[in-house]
Amino acid sequence: MKAAIPYLVAAAAIAAMIWAMSFGSPPPADFTFCNGEEIKTVAPARVTGAPEGRIIRSLFEGLTRWNAETLKPEPGMAESWDISEDKRTYTFHIRRGAVWSDGTPVTAHDFVWSWRRFLHPEIGAEYANEMWYIVGSKKFTSGKVEVGDPVEVELKEKAEGGPEHAAGIIASGKLVAIEDHEDGTIYTVEIDGRARRFQENAAVEGTEAYNWLIYDFRQVGIHALDERTLEVTLKHPVPYFLNLVGFYPMSPVNRACVERHGYPAWTKPENIVCNGAFQLEFRRIRDRIRLRKNPLYWDARNVKLETVDALAIKSDTTMLNLYMTGEADWITTVPNTVISKLAKRPQGDFAPAPYLATYHYIINVTRPPLDDARVRRALTLALDREQIVRDVTQAGQIPGRSMTPLEIRKYIDYDPPQCGKRNVKEAKRLLAEAGYPEGRGLGKVEILYNTSEGHQTIAEVIQAQWKDALGINVGLRNQEWTAYLDSRQKKQYQVCRAGWIGDYVDPNTFLNLFVSDGPQNHTGWSNQEYDELVKKARGEPDDKKRLDYFRRAERILMDELPVIPIYFYVSTSMVRPYVKGWYPNIQDVHPLRAIWIDRQQKARVFKEEGLR
Amino acid sequence: MTGFILKRLLWMVLTLWVVFTLSFVLMKIVPGGPFDRERSLAPEIKRNIERRYYLDEPLWKQYVRELGNVARLDLGVSFRLGDFRVSEVLAQGFPISASLGIVAMAFALSLGLTAGIVSAVRRQTLTDFSLMLVATIGIALPNFVIAGIMIMLFVFLLPIFPAAGWGTLGHLILPAFCLGAPYAAYIARLARTGMLDVLSRDYIRTAYAKGLSSRAVILRHALKGAMLPVVSFLGPAIAGILTGSLVIEKIFGIPGLGIHFIEAAMQHDYTLAMGLVLVYTTLLYTMNLIVDISYAYLDPRVKLE
Repeated sequence: MKAAIPYLVAAAAIAAMIWAMSFGSPPPADFTFCNGEEIKTVAPARVTGAPEGRIIRSLFEGLTRWNAETLKPEPGMAESWDISEDKRTYTFHIRRGAVWSDGTPVTAHDFVWSWRRFLHPEIGAEYANEMWYIVGSKKFTSGKVEVGDPVEVELKEKAEGGPEHAAGIIASGKLVAIEDHEDGTIYTVEIDGRARRFQENAAVEGTEAYNWLIYDFRQVGIHALDERTLEVTLKHPVPYFLNLVGFYPMSPVNRACVERHGYPAWTKPENIVCNGAFQLEFRRIRDRIRLRKNPLYWDARNVKLETVDALAIKSDTTMLNLYMTGEADWITTVPNTVISKLAKRPQGDFAPAPYLATYHYIINVTRPPLDDARVRRALTLALDREQIVRDVTQAGQIPGRSMTPLEIRKYIDYDPPQCGKRNVKEAKRLLAEAGYPEGRGLGKVEILYNTSEGHQTIAEVIQAQWKDALGINVGLRNQEWTAYLDSRQKKQYQVCRAGWIGDYVDPNTFLNLFVSDGPQNHTGWSNQEYDELVKKARGEPDDKKRLDYFRRAERILMDELPVIPIYFYVSTSMVRPYVKGWYPNIQDVHPLRAIWIDRQQKARVFKEEGLR
Repeated sequence: MTGFILKRLLWMVLTLWVVFTLSFVLMKIVPGGPFDRERSLAPEIKRNIERRYYLDEPLWKQYVRELGNVARLDLGVSFRLGDFRVSEVLAQGFPISASLGIVAMAFALSLGLTAGIVSAVRRQTLTDFSLMLVATIGIALPNFVIAGIMIMLFVFLLPIFPAAGWGTLGHLILPAFCLGAPYAAYIARLARTGMLDVLSRDYIRTAYAKGLSSRAVILRHALKGAMLPVVSFLGPAIAGILTGSLVIEKIFGIPGLGIHFIEAAMQHDYTLAMGLVLVYTTLLYTMNLIVDISYAYLDPRVKLE
């Protein structure tokens, strides 16, 4: 036996080698791009994030879809819609002939069911608040009920013969009493004229168990009038609502598929049923997602790519390597260190485009000396933003003196009010006026940022600028991401780096951050007039008046300066010139359905650069 | 021997429990959680998410629940890769890391052993010095530097290999070389030391005295003894190499366990991180057990009890 051991080891080693060298690999796709981090899921309801968006937008389609060039909403699953006079009721007409990838028709009921699921507390959708414009939806998501509310009770029992993963039977009625009990709250609900008592686990005699007891979804403003008509009622006018229903989390999912397989099994390539331009063919975790054209998509004749590979590559250096060797046709970001070199490429394939995002510093206005608006204004006036974008960021970022990126002017009639240009003399005067001539008596101001070379360099430049111009001593403090978020939320900082990407092309997505009770307002700043203007703007059906309210609000923000805008981001995509139908735009969204490859040009480029 | 193995397996269960408990505590005391974003969530939504993942329960309850799941070999669904169960992530990642590891190890062993033995036999010659110099450099250079040099040479200067990815033999060669190089260097040094030690022993002198050729002496008598330090190094090294290399996998975009390891830790993916730690512990323990057993074969003086 002992003598056999060396042979066994050798045989095992040889077998292992043979196994290690055996691969199954799909042939290259028509179009390959680096998608960044591995996506969290392909289920639309559960996600936030750009890489997820690129995949889900290809697999699913909402009521509208965004035009590839302008991002304006155009008919998607809805072929047309009517908007009521008060702009609060939208009636969508579902496209005739729109089908799921299993051949069944897409109906208004699919949207009611999917949106209900999206808003349901069980799902825990991170973007649920985007739908809270709809009447009753916030209450439904919150899961909180009061006496007198219409409620629905999801029972533990399921309908007989139903699919395995369907929800329990739902009984609806009026909540008439809530009793506190040591084994859990007891709810009394009047259903069909009969009072029934419910407790989560039926621990008390005479009660029934339930899964969920929440606000009645029938009271939420989402109704299917018939198979092809969907009516949505909003709390107040939302000018970008048509964009919103084309936003990927609002895509419908196939009820039969979800209820048959359950989560996460329904998202597997062999199970998933979708309604977008592409289908999911293959997934290897943290490697790639292979998409294949969906022949049943309503606009399939305009989809040119047969297969697409989305590579899950996080390292920007690896991305660039893949791009340079011709293995990827589009990379979504490039390493900062080579930006200036890439910009000089003769191919001109690195062309940063303005992006709807602002790099800024927020200020804790609850602590002196920064509670004084004059000091904040002095700090802002002493900034040299040109130096930062020229010497540090280098990719053509635009110096920013407003919270809403200036580029928005090209899309809507809104010219963001700005804070003052660099003016050291005025800054010194303001500082003296506030009682700190030449920065004396001001003490040290500290900048907090999350650990990153880029943020650090910017903070160092600003440190020097404030020191030179105003004589202020500036300290720097960096923290890891989660610790940084914690300090920020607890207001344990003086000046803190922040960034914000707009969710839609409207000033609301930026200005809403600084309302007094906003969850994103970590500055402690509170201004009643500002709050009122933002609130009024949100309820205003007239677009001109609405934007005027926002203009006045942003003017206040830029005078009071609880936030110092520094620059507007640019998207740093790199795309091969033979990739057509890819348009730079303010939200850095590039639907795959519009993209196609000029094969002759591709052959030419590959020959010129000596690629295979 | 059966008793020995059973006893060790019992200890393994205990070790796994300790590792589980420590990891659980560490994961929970680290600030932040899997759902931290720059965009603060509305409190209603945050509550829904926490309830979904049982994060709203008291810690001891979470601990008992998790321990129960792990004991039933159910590692749950990954927090960050929501479409996959942890077992699926492991099942996809392990073969990839393992094939990379096997090729790297085969490469490290063949190169390292040859270099080590040659050095020992030709000790104090130019061959010895140059081989050991290369080995020292191999140990000293971190593998991301080797990877960078290799990419410059064989991806851009001489375009032989693809820059990154997984799926063909070409994708395997560069990362396997970069991963194996430091191990090769280490093995070379260990083999040389082991060999030198053995060559000065009496039984080797006896073998020479019998009139055996030096080739026969080295391969039949000395090699076995010289392998001892290498084998004790190999146990943990194989466990480490099979579960993936954090750096190499990232640079070459290889979807193995190493990448999952870093990402799970960075993203507070509690379930995946726990699954990986437990798998790594099991593997490490098993490899050490195999090393101990192989000692008994390689060195007649060792008895298992």
